[in-house]
Amino acid sequence: MDFDFSDDQEQLRDAVHKWVDKGYDFDRRRAIAASGGFDRAAYTELAELGLTGLYVSEAQGGMGMGPVEGMVVMEALGRGIVMEPLTQTLITSAVLEGYGPDGLKTAWLGRIASGEALVVLAHQERKGRYNLSHCATQAKEAPDAWSLTGVKHMVPAGAHADAYLVPAMIGDSLGLFLVERNASGLRTAAYATQDSAAAADIHLDNTPAQLLSRDGLTALEHAVDIGIASLCAEAVGVMDKTMAITIEYMNTRKQFNTVISSFQALRHRVADMKMQLELARSMSFYASLKLNAPADERRSAMARAKYQLGVSMRFVGQQAVQLHGGIGVTDEYIVSHYFKKLTQLEMTWGDTLHQLGEVSERMQDTAGVFA
Amino acid sequence: MDLAFTPEELAFRDEIRTWVKGNLPADISHKVHAAMRLTRDDMQRWAQILGKKGWLGWAWPTQFGGPGWNAIQKHLFEEECALAGAPRVVPFGPVMVAPVIMAFGNAEQQQRFLPGIASGEVWWSQGYSEPGSGSDLASLKTRAERVGDKYIVNGQKTWTTLGQYGEWIFCLVRTSNEGKPQTGISFLLIDMKTPGITVRPIKLLDGECEVNEVWFDNVEVPVENLVGEENKGWNYAKHLLAHERTNIADVNRAKRELERLKRIAKAEGVYDDLRFRDEIAKLEVDIVALEMLVLRVLSAEKSGKNSLDIAGLLKIKGSEIQQRYAELMMLAAGPYSLPFIFEAMDAGWQGDFPGDNVSNAPLAANYFNMRKTTIYGGSNEVQRNIVAQTVLG
Repeated sequence: MDFDFSDDQEQLRDAVHKWVDKGYDFDRRRAIAASGGFDRAAYTELAELGLTGLYVSEAQGGMGMGPVEGMVVMEALGRGIVMEPLTQTLITSAVLEGYGPDGLKTAWLGRIASGEALVVLAHQERKGRYNLSHCATQAKEAPDAWSLTGVKHMVPAGAHADAYLVPAMIGDSLGLFLVERNASGLRTAAYATQDSAAAADIHLDNTPAQLLSRDGLTALEHAVDIGIASLCAEAVGVMDKTMAITIEYMNTRKQFNTVISSFQALRHRVADMKMQLELARSMSFYASLKLNAPADERRSAMARAKYQLGVSMRFVGQQAVQLHGGIGVTDEYIVSHYFKKLTQLEMTWGDTLHQLGEVSERMQDTAGVFA
Repeated sequence: MDLAFTPEELAFRDEIRTWVKGNLPADISHKVHAAMRLTRDDMQRWAQILGKKGWLGWAWPTQFGGPGWNAIQKHLFEEECALAGAPRVVPFGPVMVAPVIMAFGNAEQQQRFLPGIASGEVWWSQGYSEPGSGSDLASLKTRAERVGDKYIVNGQKTWTTLGQYGEWIFCLVRTSNEGKPQTGISFLLIDMKTPGITVRPIKLLDGECEVNEVWFDNVEVPVENLVGEENKGWNYAKHLLAHERTNIADVNRAKRELERLKRIAKAEGVYDDLRFRDEIAKLEVDIVALEMLVLRVLSAEKSGKNSLDIAGLLKIKGSEIQQRYAELMMLAAGPYSLPFIFEAMDAGWQGDFPGDNVSNAPLAANYFNMRKTTIYGGSNEVQRNIVAQTVLG
């Protein structure tokens, strides 16, 4: 049992921190948000740091790293509320590596690692909410070819991605497919989400697709769990920075002739925020360290982690706004953007109530980090 | 970074598990698992079994006869004891005063006091709080005046846990009124049989006499019972607090009590009520998160690479969890937690308990008892002040 980071992991963190501080400041983020919430150039910079190949094996041209490195990177990106969806790349590359046929791997993994291709998960449907087995999109098999028909919502960078991993029904069971953006019958409708990032609906009308896995639910559950672990780490970074912004403000802002950080009512709120941050960081470690566990154990760990993160994110975000006072609810000041990001993350991959239900359902007689 | 214990750590845990299983008396673990009343003899018996093995001072270094375990090993030992249903070791001797004597006492004091603590023969109490000094401990007023080769002690201590059994007491006493309140405090070891000491148990809201008032009326204490230097006692007390960091979170006991909560909820038919069950689920996540927090502190202590200054967080979260499981246990039994039959908490009681489940007898009492946890050891509000200080400056 050991929670120290290796020198290589520390270097990786430093490199990403440096990029966030120097290469993705608030002005650049604002400019990207104003032009739709996704910047291919910024995404390419992530690729140049090697991050898009983090979960791609060395054989396929990636770095072949694991969940701890993923955590280190996502936490650092969270500090800058980076909108380019690296989590999606981590998910789709890991799913292709783990479940894809050789042909698809060879065709896509190298290009994902280099940043040439952005592949994202397109699974959300109107009536599915957080239920992964709900899927109305249908897959049709013709000789040598599949085609999909249906609509997927809230696809991150949906209008910018080069391909999508799409769950669709093969008869009664869920399959997972790869669909290219320029495939026939595919239409995207782009919009921004509350965190200013780009998203889109993907309309599929007899759109050609390649089969990734017939056991789509297993792959999709794994995909979402990778997403949860990544989100937990990102959220810790967002909260860490949110706290730092709030602390700096409280030590500068004066009311009643003194800095507001001197007021005990406010100091106790900050202590409670610190509590939530450290519980969240602990559970982010837990999520990443359980990501390679057997599916049942992994699923249960992710539900616990995401529940804690959900509680923490809502508390830290709301308190940060409150402690800022009026400036906290303006668009101009930075903290509201962190709050919105935290809010969006809470509702991504299953919100807090949903995760509580998962934990509740899975409870055993004994419990703990190792049970 | 690795969540798994090493093979050596796992082998160590198995060794502890086997030993505890073979040496913890079944009548004692039965009481602990059912939250029945523990007697002085129960606590003393287990302490002396540990003492004989050399594990009552499980956190002690080898030079003082301890096993010299690292942070992880100490944690595994505590966990195995807690899960097996061992009583909490009364901490005042082996956990609290012994490290101070080791660090600041002289060789003569070490030889005189440590063996009796290590064996579990001598029952120690803690004399810190006073009627006028709760969370503001440094304002304490019990005076020790140097007269020749003696201190004459006058004053009153309170909330002295299990002080009715105490044979020795370590006290913070005022030896000077110069300067800041913290600078005039000394650390004295006092034989409780000395004339002038009166102990009066305080009955608490659960009906138990868990704490006491202790009066000192011209009590003569030989100067050789002063630990370290006069007026430096506050520093020694702070050192002591550093030894309680993860202990105070008591996450191992929380894991055991979560299991008990689930048993009670099932027996009372509320485990399948989703509204109730979700509350258990929340507590389960709280406990896992606290355990991760504790493991992070232990890992940092073991490697010495990152220091984690989060003792205040451990106290706050640990105490809130203790209160919550006690609360949920009581709520699970609902009206059947309400009968107050004092003897029903004694092992072997043969009376009729309303609803025929005598294991509901201690639930309300434990709930009431647990209200202390957010008050003692520095109230949680004081802990929040400390946490805020580290964050905001």
